[in-house]
Amino acid sequence: MVGIEYILLIGSALILLSVTIAKLSDNFGVPVLLLFLSVGMLAGSEGPGGIYFDDARLASSVGVIALLFILFGGGLDTNWPRVRPVLGKAASLSTLGVLLTALAIGILVHLALDTSLIAGLLLGAIISSTDAAAVFSVLGSKQVSLRGNLKPLLELESGSNDPMAVFLTIGLIELITIPETTVVRLIALFCLQMGIGALLGLSLGRAMVYLLNKVRFSYEGFYPVFALACVAFIFALTSVLQGSGFLAVYLAGIVVGNSEFVQKKSLFRFVDGLAWLGQICMFLTLGLLVFPSQLVPVIGIGLVVSAFLMFVARPLGVFLALSLTDMTVKEKVFVSWVGLRGAVPIILATFPLTARLPDAGILFNLVFFIVLTSALFQGWSIPLVAKFLGVATPALPKRQFPLEFAAPIDSNTELMDFIVPYHAAVVGKSVVEIGLPPGCLVVLLSRGDEYIVPSGGTTLEESDTLLILVKKAELAAVREIFTKQREHEDVPKESK
Amino acid sequence: MKITDILNEKVVRVNLPGASKAEIINAMIDLAGAQEKVLDKQKMREAILEREKIMSTGVGSGFAIPHGKTDAVADIIGAFAVTAQPIDYQSLDEQPVRIIFLLVGKDNMVGPHIKLLSRISRLMNKEEFRNRLIEAKSSQEILDIFRQEEATYFEV
Repeated sequence: MVGIEYILLIGSALILLSVTIAKLSDNFGVPVLLLFLSVGMLAGSEGPGGIYFDDARLASSVGVIALLFILFGGGLDTNWPRVRPVLGKAASLSTLGVLLTALAIGILVHLALDTSLIAGLLLGAIISSTDAAAVFSVLGSKQVSLRGNLKPLLELESGSNDPMAVFLTIGLIELITIPETTVVRLIALFCLQMGIGALLGLSLGRAMVYLLNKVRFSYEGFYPVFALACVAFIFALTSVLQGSGFLAVYLAGIVVGNSEFVQKKSLFRFVDGLAWLGQICMFLTLGLLVFPSQLVPVIGIGLVVSAFLMFVARPLGVFLALSLTDMTVKEKVFVSWVGLRGAVPIILATFPLTARLPDAGILFNLVFFIVLTSALFQGWSIPLVAKFLGVATPALPKRQFPLEFAAPIDSNTELMDFIVPYHAAVVGKSVVEIGLPPGCLVVLLSRGDEYIVPSGGTTLEESDTLLILVKKAELAAVREIFTKQREHEDVPKESK
Repeated sequence: MKITDILNEKVVRVNLPGASKAEIINAMIDLAGAQEKVLDKQKMREAILEREKIMSTGVGSGFAIPHGKTDAVADIIGAFAVTAQPIDYQSLDEQPVRIIFLLVGKDNMVGPHIKLLSRISRLMNKEEFRNRLIEAKSSQEILDIFRQEEATYFEV
């Protein structure tokens, strides 16, 4: 048994390396997940690192846990009002689209490679879903800026289609290993799983918000602990009750992210950190698990399946799933191209390994190779393709400004801007004299071209623009202060 | 950032038609909304109307500056118009409005947003400048007036 200090030493060194190397992604546009994978592969038994690791079960568990936080984090970041218009399209993509893609791959593999149909379908199911982490990181980067509803659609699709792929994969493994399973039973099971998953995800998400607001935890540090436990609990309970735990966690994330509660900001940050840690650990582990030399024999088949996936199966699924919508052909082509595969297929590919299916090793290597090509080829070219298809808007270089903060500090306070009206009664008075209600604070004052950090004695001028932290309950009072005009004024004074 | 950086001939109008505050704000949104930087016009409209509810942006002397912050735009955008007729804008000084500047900032770019708000409303506080804008015959002329004024008034 290796001592804990050695495990920690190796683990932390690999994580540190991954975090540092991620910078390369900014500079060269390499999808960040590929970098993590490469670190894992280099550290593995066939790289300079020489760490021998072939525990598929452990890798699979790490993957599932990491996926929980990635999905929950994805849900948190989903802006509900923004995705509502694309809900139908996304649902169609992540059910019908995924199914069609899996079927198309399954039939091709069956016909071209002389395997059984069900083995082909299993491969299809494993690589049928797009990857939330990959899509979020590519679309969120500064290189792409999409017009219209494309971005929310692609993000919602990638977050919500994993449960479908998980279900298809597990269902097919059952079909293979338990002979009495029938397709009809699987369909019934599907409805049940998704139904329970949706129900529990939505209601437990609500409960989580309620508890966060209701229970005043003794220590601030308990809030993230509470959230961490909630996510694991939602997944586990839903799974125990035969629902789709992944769907439940994603939906709970959406509910929580779009509610107001105390400590929201710190919770977001915590989950964001966890999701990253999850991604890094997952890709490192998967990189360790693969033996690069075993990828060589599958390169031929891998390229064929990969090309078929990118150019036929995914477009087929997208075009049919979106056939009843008003989207243009160019937009559909683009959606097809953002079929980034990522960690989920690799995690799913460990399922047949743990179920000890014949040829599971070849399947794993094949999936690994397909994900690599998809992430490299599609991930890299998305900004170019977006421009080529005319679905991009000019992305502007990010500038540094003195102030960048998100508006709500907590749910009762908001940062608002007020322009001092030309003939306002407050002109010439100091910040103290205008009598802002308690709990309201002038944070910043912009006058002409200057920023002034105001003190109580700062005198207001016409057209000064103030940034005020306003208690929502006091909004009317603040408005009153600025609305009031100077009395007995015949000739408005002009500032010169 | 300069005012003239966010204006161009396509988003500047003289004789903007419309009789009510709502019509004028909508016309301004249409004027600004055709730009590529606007990712979601409807969402931008919501942000502007939301801000208008907090307090009228008719800051006085016939000038109004409807504005908002939202992630529906890729960068700060603006539009400028002189209305064809005086508009009852529920201004704070109750004077009808002729000059409108629409400004929409990106969600968490608070700094440049309020800086532009104060720069614009400071320029507009000069009667002589307002009159020149009202009398302008074309959008090109308006852009020239802005350029001139901005060059003399602010160190760029």
